[in-house]
Amino acid sequence: MMRLRTLFLLPAWAFTLLLFLGPMLIIVVYSLQTKGVYGGVVEPWTLENYTRLLDPLYGVILLRSFVMAGASTIGCIVLAFPLALYIARSGTRKTLLLNLVMLPFWTSFLVRTYAWMFLLRDTGLLNSALLALGIISEPLPLLYNDWAVIVGLVYGYLPFAVLPLYSNLERLDKSLLEAAADLGAKPWETMLHVVLPLTAPGMRAAGVLVFIPCLGAYLTPDLLGGGKSMMIGNLVQNQFTTARDWPFGSALSLALMAIVMLLLWALLRRDGEEML
Amino acid sequence: MGDLHLEAIYKEFPSHRVVDGITLTIPQGCFYSLLGPSGCGKTTTLRMIAGFDEPDRGVIKLGDRTLNGLRPYERPVTTVFQSYALFPHLTAAENIAFGLKRKGDPDTARKVKEALDLVQLSAKADRLPAKMSGGERQRTALARALVLQPEVLLLDEPLSALDPKLRKQMRLELKELQARVGITFLFITHDQEEALSLSDQIAVMNKGRLEQIGTPQEIYLTPATRFVAGFLGAVNWVGAIGVRPELTRISREAPGNGARVVEATVSSAMFLGDCFQVETKTPAGDSIVAQIAHGLGEFQRGERVHVWWHPHDEMAIPQ
Repeated sequence: MMRLRTLFLLPAWAFTLLLFLGPMLIIVVYSLQTKGVYGGVVEPWTLENYTRLLDPLYGVILLRSFVMAGASTIGCIVLAFPLALYIARSGTRKTLLLNLVMLPFWTSFLVRTYAWMFLLRDTGLLNSALLALGIISEPLPLLYNDWAVIVGLVYGYLPFAVLPLYSNLERLDKSLLEAAADLGAKPWETMLHVVLPLTAPGMRAAGVLVFIPCLGAYLTPDLLGGGKSMMIGNLVQNQFTTARDWPFGSALSLALMAIVMLLLWALLRRDGEEML
Repeated sequence: MGDLHLEAIYKEFPSHRVVDGITLTIPQGCFYSLLGPSGCGKTTTLRMIAGFDEPDRGVIKLGDRTLNGLRPYERPVTTVFQSYALFPHLTAAENIAFGLKRKGDPDTARKVKEALDLVQLSAKADRLPAKMSGGERQRTALARALVLQPEVLLLDEPLSALDPKLRKQMRLELKELQARVGITFLFITHDQEEALSLSDQIAVMNKGRLEQIGTPQEIYLTPATRFVAGFLGAVNWVGAIGVRPELTRISREAPGNGARVVEATVSSAMFLGDCFQVETKTPAGDSIVAQIAHGLGEFQRGERVHVWWHPHDEMAIPQ
């Protein structure tokens, strides 16, 4: 029995060791070495990459990333909540609506982000329409700023917020809503005092699922922010390409990972297995 | 304040007609039961009074105010749900305060305390529902609905989730509570023993219609239909005549004057603890069951006996 079990677990172990722990180990090693002239890493071993992290310049970018990811997360939850509520109350059409939420995943994220560029640029669909209607006389600067990045992130990660909120709302006992109304609560009071507190776990799960990928986002700020709106993901990419500073890039990504793990740990301590 | 009137209420769901023309008056301050088997429309009737469902036709009035069209939060009635529907994120005290806070009652703290006292839950005020026993949840649900001083309290099978021992105790408490607060209780149940022991008035429902309205004694002793007779307890049918097993006697010798007698053969005799249950067969093929006290003798299978009862214990129901 024991041997069969080991056999079955082997692929999973191999996968974890080779493709997860292995690269991680490489990054740790890189982060402790010195940058080579044409990229790569060379001796001597040093901790300098980590002390550089304390430079306020990088702190600002980290802070920006947090603000952008936070704003996107709030945006996602605010949009996802009514949507999830609507789906949870749609009876037989639930499956169809859930599939529609997942539909964007059928296309590449890159292609979809380009689509946003076509929508938002000066000669894009939105500006052309507003110009044609005579509402504006000059194109609005919709692309290449923080708002464009946040719109792109909210769009990209909305499904990750809808799904946990939906499963939470779907499980909500309907007799609780009737009880609230019975005790004199108007619909908005039922929402505020019963539905919202009882969907807090779903919101925390949605928050984690959206915030973490947003924090490390690189494609969206690159394309929709036009390099003007740098987030930590772009900084890491920069180190490995333009700056040819692999050790510092490695230290940066490890720092980001540590922050994310700390956040997850704090949340798991609160919600325990409910989150998993 | 006033009596609760249901006037020709109809309610249809896509599959079938659930409530099929119900008219009844529930007097103010009365402990009134709606009794019937599951699916008879009693819960739908309650939901229409609470405002969760609207009748297709018919008028619901409280005193001279029409309740039709009012939202649940606009109606002066509250509900104790079958599952209690306590808010899981709120303590007992907070659950009870919920309705008062929605009204902005300045006296919330005092009223919550009184309500907790009323249902003897003061010691558990800060417990979450998940940490309460079934009985404590039940009391919290009661206090939460009563603290708003509704004109009618609707109880949807409130005892069905409790174990039998606790159920009997809560039954007693419920009866005392109603006497103390004087609020009209409309009690929905499928348990005839509960309805009989608690109610001032009982309305028996079947297939969306009313079968009979009356006091517990009237319903039990002079049922209007075979359904009512059978739903409230076991009946021996001898033609159009029905007799309750506990009013049926058995003896070896012929009984004295005035008794109705049938000769029969004992087909089984069972000891039930508080009595013997003797089943007999008449030559006509009717089965008659008698529950007899200890000391009235034991009967053997196959023994020929006289089965008899007093004429005033007979229930005559036209077929």
